[in-house]
Amino acid sequence: MAQKDLKRFFAPRSVAVIGASANKGRPGRVVIENMRANGYKGDIHPVNPRGGKLLGLRVFKTIKDLPSGIDLAIVILPAQATPQAVRDCAARNIGSIVLVAGGFAEVDHAGEDLQQELAQASRETGVRVLGPNTAGHISTPADFTSSFFPLGEIPRGGISYVAQTGNFTGAMMKHIMSAENYGVARCIGLGNTVDIDETDVFEFLATDRHTKAIFFYLESLRRPREFIEIAKQVTPKKPVIVLKGGATADGAKAALSHTASMGSDDRILDGALRQAGVVRIDEFSHLFLAAKAVAPMPVPAGNRVGFVSPSGAFIVHISDLCRQRFNLSFPDLMPRTMDRLREISPPFIRLSNPVDIFPSATVHGMEFAYREAMEAVLTDPNVDAVVSIMILTRELGMPSLDFIPELAKKHPKKPIYISFSGDHACNEEAKAFLEPRGVPTFPLIEDAFKALDILAQARKSLKK
Amino acid sequence: MKIDAAQRLVARSVKAGHGALSEYDSKRLLAAYGVPVTRERLVHSAKDARAAADRLGYPVVLKGCAHDLLHKTEAGLVMVGLGSGKEVADGFRTLKARAGADFSGGFLVQEMVKGDRELMIGMTRDEQFGPSVVFGLGGIFTEVLEDVVFRLAPLKLSDAREMMTEIRAAKILGSVRGMARVDRALLAHAIVAVGRAAAENPDIAEIDINPLIVAGSRPIAVDGLVILKPAGSN
Repeated sequence: MAQKDLKRFFAPRSVAVIGASANKGRPGRVVIENMRANGYKGDIHPVNPRGGKLLGLRVFKTIKDLPSGIDLAIVILPAQATPQAVRDCAARNIGSIVLVAGGFAEVDHAGEDLQQELAQASRETGVRVLGPNTAGHISTPADFTSSFFPLGEIPRGGISYVAQTGNFTGAMMKHIMSAENYGVARCIGLGNTVDIDETDVFEFLATDRHTKAIFFYLESLRRPREFIEIAKQVTPKKPVIVLKGGATADGAKAALSHTASMGSDDRILDGALRQAGVVRIDEFSHLFLAAKAVAPMPVPAGNRVGFVSPSGAFIVHISDLCRQRFNLSFPDLMPRTMDRLREISPPFIRLSNPVDIFPSATVHGMEFAYREAMEAVLTDPNVDAVVSIMILTRELGMPSLDFIPELAKKHPKKPIYISFSGDHACNEEAKAFLEPRGVPTFPLIEDAFKALDILAQARKSLKK
Repeated sequence: MKIDAAQRLVARSVKAGHGALSEYDSKRLLAAYGVPVTRERLVHSAKDARAAADRLGYPVVLKGCAHDLLHKTEAGLVMVGLGSGKEVADGFRTLKARAGADFSGGFLVQEMVKGDRELMIGMTRDEQFGPSVVFGLGGIFTEVLEDVVFRLAPLKLSDAREMMTEIRAAKILGSVRGMARVDRALLAHAIVAVGRAAAENPDIAEIDINPLIVAGSRPIAVDGLVILKPAGSN
């Protein structure tokens, strides 16, 4: 059955793997191993002309032999064989197909023709097609992935990614899994987009209760007005963050007015995204940076930061950065916050926000100084988020960091981000301790503020 | 002019095969949608020019005005700061001679708006996004700095307000150097009006309001150009 929405595409009750392989490391085998590693509970039906058994599963020789009621097929065949496979799957009422093969429009003219054929097959049969030329998709709420990249168990969480590239659910997912400690809900590499496009997926994610924030990597918009209309509906409810690549210097055509000559694709896109409350970012790594910040923490209620720093240099530098590049401010603190900060600091220190915590730490020790200062700043109604830079070295002795997740639990409406200066191994240790406990860490001090800047922008469109 | 009359004007002009509305008609249309424009009279004789200037008050601006006259300044058909009835009458004869025998248009006698800040509002139809409204710095700075931001039409007043904060030179709308703070409500209405004119007139291809001069605190369209789509192109 052809499906209009992508519900079964993201939660198939049973799947077929067309082009399953017995050979270790082949996509036709890895995809099954991935599904199993993620605890997929539906039936998996491998298809290969040789038949037999694969990983304990019965292998069907043809698509025709498959049992009825399959929701999704993953087609791992050479490009030439794919249009027929789409039609064969449609004949079996399989509603969704993931097309892995490359060798289409991205390669040559013959590939372009083949892609046309595929698009036609998808249109005529009404089958929803992802790809071709994609590493597939991930849907952790359904314990499912169609990725053929060896991923193993994918961490679960509220972040969803839509990428106009095939390999987001491959190498880039591997990066997230190995370098960070946040989980994902739905991830999709769109590939060559013969059918399912960014706007289709956006529409699904808009009302997906498992998705807390949506990240896009885009190179073009197939249905720009519709995309913007959906964005307007979504951004009051969850952050939408877009990296748009391939910006042309001027899409300006022969124009009679100044307006038209200035109307490059990118300028108009920029205005449209802002109008819809979408946050546009300009660095690939920020797709991960903002995600790790928002995954375990609330979106800040505003752009006022309480900054606890062990060094005047950081205070000067970050203040410059926030003035010049980031739309963040360091508000004055309430008298009672200042009283508390004075209590825990030596008498000769002049205190303000950002808070220089070093004098207090030398007198009272790291743990006490940071805990008390962060608590005071978190309690201050003028502060929307707290960033602390900690000095961690073996020589000074690693403080117990238990107090940080405790503070986060006690102040669930205000994000806490931790950054470091000092011994890299200690930073890694602190990251490994804090992030699984819901406190994001940023080894580079600027990154914590960049992430806050992005989320403070998202906040402007969110209904409080 | 009312909105329905403005829409008929567009239809008539497209049917006549005009590529654009004259400045006079462009501004009448924009004014119908709520863009503040200069006070002006369209005249065809030196005598009428003089009478119009007397009514508007001196100094005035005199411009050639026709649907096929897109670059008045380059054609030498603009005179500013005319301070008396005689100057207006002389100016009229000079411009008429310059315009040549083939010139089918008329001449605009226009109040001379004084203000140090020049802004612009425009509209273009993007192939992908459709009607898009632009706001930014006007005058020569439009080309030099391209300090502009876009929004898709139709716009809300809050969209227009945001545009004002997003240009790099946003401070120019404040009370800088003793100049009055720009009337943002009026400016927002003008920006929204341009989007509405585009949305309600599919035959309009492009709009340029440049400069939109801030006189005291009030923005006023000093020049306006409405480009039309070729007949039968929809």
